[in-house]
Amino acid sequence: MSDSIKKQSQSVNPVDLLGKIIEISHSNLELTSRINSILNIISRDMSCEEVIIYTFDKDKRLTCRFANQKSVLFKILNQYRCHVGEGIVGSVAQKRSPLFYTIRDVPPRFGCLFYPELDEKLENYKAFAFLPLADDSYLYGVLVLSAVSRDALHDAEKIFLSILSREIGGILRSYELILSSKKRISELATLSELGKVLTSNAEPHELLKNIALIIAKSLNATFVTIKLEYSPLKLDVHRFTYGVIDPSVQDHVRELEGTATRLLRAVSMKDCSPDEYESGFRFSLFSAPVISKNRVLGTLTICGEKTGQNYTLGEDGQYLINTIANYISSGLENTLLNTRLRDAVRELGDAQKRLIEQEKFRSLGEMTANIAHEIKNPLVIIGGFTKRLAKQVDLGRTENKYISIILNEVTRLESILNEVLNYVKETPLLAETCNINDYLDETLYLLTSDASWEEVRIVKTYDPGLPPIACDSQQLKQVLINILINAHEAMHGRGTITIQTKQATYENKPFIAISITDTGGGIDPAIIDNVFNPFFTTKERGTGLGLAISNKIIKNHKGHIDVENIAGKGVTFIIYLPVKNHTTKEEFL
Amino acid sequence: MKNARILVVDDEENIRLLFKEELEDEGFEVDLASNGFEALDKLKQGRFDLVVLDIKMPGMDGIQALNEIKNANKDQPVILCSAYGEFKQDFSSWVSDGYVVKSADTRELKQTIKNILGL
Repeated sequence: MSDSIKKQSQSVNPVDLLGKIIEISHSNLELTSRINSILNIISRDMSCEEVIIYTFDKDKRLTCRFANQKSVLFKILNQYRCHVGEGIVGSVAQKRSPLFYTIRDVPPRFGCLFYPELDEKLENYKAFAFLPLADDSYLYGVLVLSAVSRDALHDAEKIFLSILSREIGGILRSYELILSSKKRISELATLSELGKVLTSNAEPHELLKNIALIIAKSLNATFVTIKLEYSPLKLDVHRFTYGVIDPSVQDHVRELEGTATRLLRAVSMKDCSPDEYESGFRFSLFSAPVISKNRVLGTLTICGEKTGQNYTLGEDGQYLINTIANYISSGLENTLLNTRLRDAVRELGDAQKRLIEQEKFRSLGEMTANIAHEIKNPLVIIGGFTKRLAKQVDLGRTENKYISIILNEVTRLESILNEVLNYVKETPLLAETCNINDYLDETLYLLTSDASWEEVRIVKTYDPGLPPIACDSQQLKQVLINILINAHEAMHGRGTITIQTKQATYENKPFIAISITDTGGGIDPAIIDNVFNPFFTTKERGTGLGLAISNKIIKNHKGHIDVENIAGKGVTFIIYLPVKNHTTKEEFL
Repeated sequence: MKNARILVVDDEENIRLLFKEELEDEGFEVDLASNGFEALDKLKQGRFDLVVLDIKMPGMDGIQALNEIKNANKDQPVILCSAYGEFKQDFSSWVSDGYVVKSADTRELKQTIKNILGL
């Protein structure tokens, strides 16, 4: 037994060593510290200057990853990577069987390449051991030992190292499992955070901003950008980005978005421009289409630095980005539904409000009619006897003046009551064939003969070929007078009234349209819904029945009245009446 | 026909009084009834050249009374006189010979009566 071997057998008790190592490997230390401690112990107890571990990197290449503290070679070796099968490390990995070298052998070549700076150094090493780190099914890396101070490893040590390499393989395996579960947990956390945002009732803008933020934060991405191609949400912004899009990737982002939209699946930069990606491109990019009901709503693009700390979207990112994109599409669907639902609810609310208003007006109308009826008799009595009084007694000038005031007021009250009672009671139509242009002219002639119309300019654009319509001419004249008088009052007797007649269609049926436009400053939009409501008035002495009666008359004619309001300018009332052929006399009665 | 007999039917006492005095001033002979039943009784007892009938009355209203009157004697002239401007959507009112809106100004009523009586 040579001196050196004797020395080794004295210093190494494999059972003790194995005990220490198992203790460390089962400790709670972080992986790197655990492995480094193990490598340090091996180096010290087995007098090996270099104890190094190769593991696989993202590209499945063997890379020098761990070494004992005093290692000199680590700094050189970790610059090179080799595939399985390349060089001594690669070949051990491929064959999954250990190789040992002694002082008598030629120093082995580590990788597939010649490492000039290594060749010189390796001259000093006398013994080498290369052991696969594997269990029954998986290979996790290669353990390398080399010694300057020893000529060879003896058999007991080789057996010990075999056992040890299985143990280290176990540590690496559990570490990988932990890493992948951490990744899954972070993915799940991302999805759960997304779920929270997507089920919130946020406005679409906020929603998309939050989505981008959550994805970027939880994946540690450099930026996340959501581009909307088509959106029924009618947003004015089409891109929502969290983070800064590096100018060097802008073109790639656009290209990936286009490809994802075209192929209808997730794509990565590695798929689209593999050459550029391999040649040291800083970023890793993924795009996925956001698809809803077979329509591409937009794209989601996630970008991270390849070497970025904790960037979660790895090689298998397509799965995750697809899942996220699906989440977004259902979120957008929800938001859309929400928006529609909210609109529908608001419309329903408005309709209900209108109905209540109408109902209120109707019962108010009935009540008013009853009151009007009850007032009418006493009024007739007051007025009737006042007249008799005036006839029978020889009164002075003052008394006569008083009596005429009473009679004027009675007349005014009576006419108001008549209007109210007329509105409440239906008036039958006397259908006759009318030429609207003629009626307009007759009505205008009646009205404008009054001095108060001197400063009103009337502009007429009649369609001479207007078909005849069936209507009650007296009632129609009342409508025209109501609207024209309103226009006159809105303009305070000064302005332009434009009257137009033309043919129109409504629900595919022929109609004639009479539009009357004034320059009276329009109607306050807040009250425009009320203009046809009975008893609604803005006039000091109005009954609020003029337009209500007009509307009712036109409805009885199977027509309708539209109001077009330009606040600050004027208002146009458009009366639509059906053309005779489509409304027979019988329909009226 | 200057001394034509007119029956005024109205549930309001003062209206009856007003119409009576106004019509008597015109030279008519006026009798009064305060509802439909009373009017039918008076018509059974004597002949009237014309009936002025209010519509809204307790008991038997004017429209019912109008039908009864016309059923008994379709040539009996009747004027409906009501606070309502129009009552024509009720077809039964069509059988009346005239329709006057009740007013403090009785000229329309008098004119309608004269027209019907051919004065």
